Amino acid sequence: MKMQKRAVVCLCISLAIMLVAGVLSLCGLGINYGLDFAGGLNLTYNMNETFSQEDVKAILNEQGLTDFSVSTLGDEKTTLQIRLPKLGDEEIQTVKTSIGDALKEKYPNVDINNTNDSYVGPVAGATLVKNAIFSVLLASVLMLIYIAFRFDLYSGIAAVFGLLHDVLIMLSAMVLLRNVVQVNSSFIAAMLTIVGYSINNTIVIFDRIRENNKKADYSGMSRSEVVSVSVKESLGRTIFTTLTTLVTIVVLYVLGVDAIQEFCLPIIVGILAGAFSANLINGYVWAALEDHRLAGSSKGKAKKA
Amino acid sequence: MKVSNRRKATLSKRTSSVIALCVVLVITVALGFLGLNGCKLDKDGEYRLLNWLPTTDAENWPKPISLGLDLRGGMYVEYEATMSDELKAQGLDYDMLLESTMNIMQDRISEKASEATVTRLGSNGIRVEIPDVTDPAAVLELIGTPAKLEFLDPDGNVFMDGSYLQTASRSVDEDGKPCIVFLLNKEGEKLFGDMTAANIGKVISIRLDGMTLMEPTINEPIYGGQVQITGDFEAEQCENYALQLQSGALPLDLRQDKLDTISATLGDDALVTSVKAAIIGIGIVMLIMLLRYRLCGLVADWALCLYIIILFLLLAVVPSIQLTLPGIAGIILGIGMAVDANVVIFERIKEEVRQGRPMIHAVRIGFKNAMSAIIDANVTTIIASFVLMIFGTGSVQGFAVTLLLSVITSMLSAILITRFLLMRFVRIWKNPSLYVAAAKPAADSIPEEAK
Repeated sequence: MKMQKRAVVCLCISLAIMLVAGVLSLCGLGINYGLDFAGGLNLTYNMNETFSQEDVKAILNEQGLTDFSVSTLGDEKTTLQIRLPKLGDEEIQTVKTSIGDALKEKYPNVDINNTNDSYVGPVAGATLVKNAIFSVLLASVLMLIYIAFRFDLYSGIAAVFGLLHDVLIMLSAMVLLRNVVQVNSSFIAAMLTIVGYSINNTIVIFDRIRENNKKADYSGMSRSEVVSVSVKESLGRTIFTTLTTLVTIVVLYVLGVDAIQEFCLPIIVGILAGAFSANLINGYVWAALEDHRLAGSSKGKAKKA
Repeated sequence: MKVSNRRKATLSKRTSSVIALCVVLVITVALGFLGLNGCKLDKDGEYRLLNWLPTTDAENWPKPISLGLDLRGGMYVEYEATMSDELKAQGLDYDMLLESTMNIMQDRISEKASEATVTRLGSNGIRVEIPDVTDPAAVLELIGTPAKLEFLDPDGNVFMDGSYLQTASRSVDEDGKPCIVFLLNKEGEKLFGDMTAANIGKVISIRLDGMTLMEPTINEPIYGGQVQITGDFEAEQCENYALQLQSGALPLDLRQDKLDTISATLGDDALVTSVKAAIIGIGIVMLIMLLRYRLCGLVADWALCLYIIILFLLLAVVPSIQLTLPGIAGIILGIGMAVDANVVIFERIKEEVRQGRPMIHAVRIGFKNAMSAIIDANVTTIIASFVLMIFGTGSVQGFAVTLLLSVITSMLSAILITRFLLMRFVRIWKNPSLYVAAAKPAADSIPEEAK
């Protein structure tokens, strides 16, 4: 009973996070979409000499710009391309002048009169996103069927429930961290990574539950007690594996530039959310569903919850 | 006599285990060496094996491992897209045609380079970025503009080319069977009409880039510009044919505006950074495994090395895979799952050891007990990546292929390789405390037996 209460509290925490994120989104403070989703403005400068991307980034930062990407064009590596978010016509002129002047200071050979600027559409277009969402949903259904086949229907539902929980927490985190991190096309990949990974923890715990349910020692226990014991038995493994997977991603986050960080952060959130839901929520969802079913079908036979 | 015989038998088992381990060690070292250095058996370059393992040296990155736009860059092409006068006269919507032109281009490129991107540029342009190429000719070949579509009369002479074709699509004929319909422009109408009128009952052929696509028979003179090809087609076949015909004729006319190289979108040092991070991360993971699981950890680390060698060999061999930052995450995930599988197994072995079983039995039972969890966990991930591979588009698909390969390889290495190695190890060294620090359960933080 105590365990079930804790699961309810944990679920409420998650729901509260999602709710806050949802409300913020409705108020227009939703996910901070980056250039990949929103498209942007390409400014191309002929630098007439080689340059360092790091220096250009520093210059742009000094101009108060945070949302941009810098590329080098051409075999001689003397053409600079800056991608900025979409701007109004007057703004473009101001920004262009200030960037041009700042560049000229560091690189006197730059040709700031003949820049080439054009709008580019989103790299991650509607087709890509729609397709990704469709694929994730289809994958979830197939995983549910597989787990229902290998375990039971409610295990499948509980596992996929956990999966959706983790993905929604990731999305919510992106809303709450909108001032820190942008969402670009790599976020789709991050989400898919978590879809593949988070179910892992759940399955290992469900496997324990499946095994313990058969053990005579545990036959006197309620379902949520069996869940709690199974979670405890696999806790060492869960923590250890979660940490080993986190290590590599965290190293990548620490060493990486902005764009790498904005990919790693959601994965870190997703892995943590996965460990959270697998240990504290999913098993109890299964127990509650199973208890409910048995209570409904034959009241006498149901184990006490 | 009996006793000494048995001892002999054990001794030979032990010897064969030592030999087996040495063989695997030699294979591992040899593969690792080849992976890092490649080999040239011949001066003429005949028996040449290129290196395939990633290094932190971006300049000399192994050739067979292709990299995506984010890590290496490539080339970009910008086109100005204009609508032909005929289409304008038909009052078609420019934005819609631009959209379908972009889709056709994306489809065409995706077959060879899934990580390529096609984006809209300004009001009337298309920008294509293709990873990991530096040769303009290769780019144009990939984009394939314009695919050479030719119509040949029964004598084998080209009487019309793709420029006369406006659109091609799948349709159904009067009997409701799938067929292909294409639309010709004014000049095409006349050419096609005159040719068909003169050759009723004969076979014409349609070629795309020199390959015969279709050989329809002319039933009647076809004037009016709308051509219907019927036959014993599946709906999907028609779709493919239509797409292929269409690819010979993009809805809009493209004029190449710019073509140049572009640097890695994540910045110049993204590749080196991520490889470095992966090496450090994997190093830490291996160290932890070794510390916590001793000889078992050593075996897991060994299997992990083989996993990495084999995975990159696959990435090098399977065409059209381009490694991207998400792909690297997919590999890290694979490593995570391999480690996880090993941890699940080792914890089970530990449980058996605690119950006083000899090491060799503990390993057998441990593997048996862990198997269902490992298979189920991996199969669900494989299902997910498979779905993404089939239904995803562009970069999602590319990522899914890497993920799929990585998970399958990791599962096989964690189960087969670890098991093989561990069984040899326990035949040589039998003391459980060498494998798992389970001698004193109280001193450890691993899950206690629940009572």
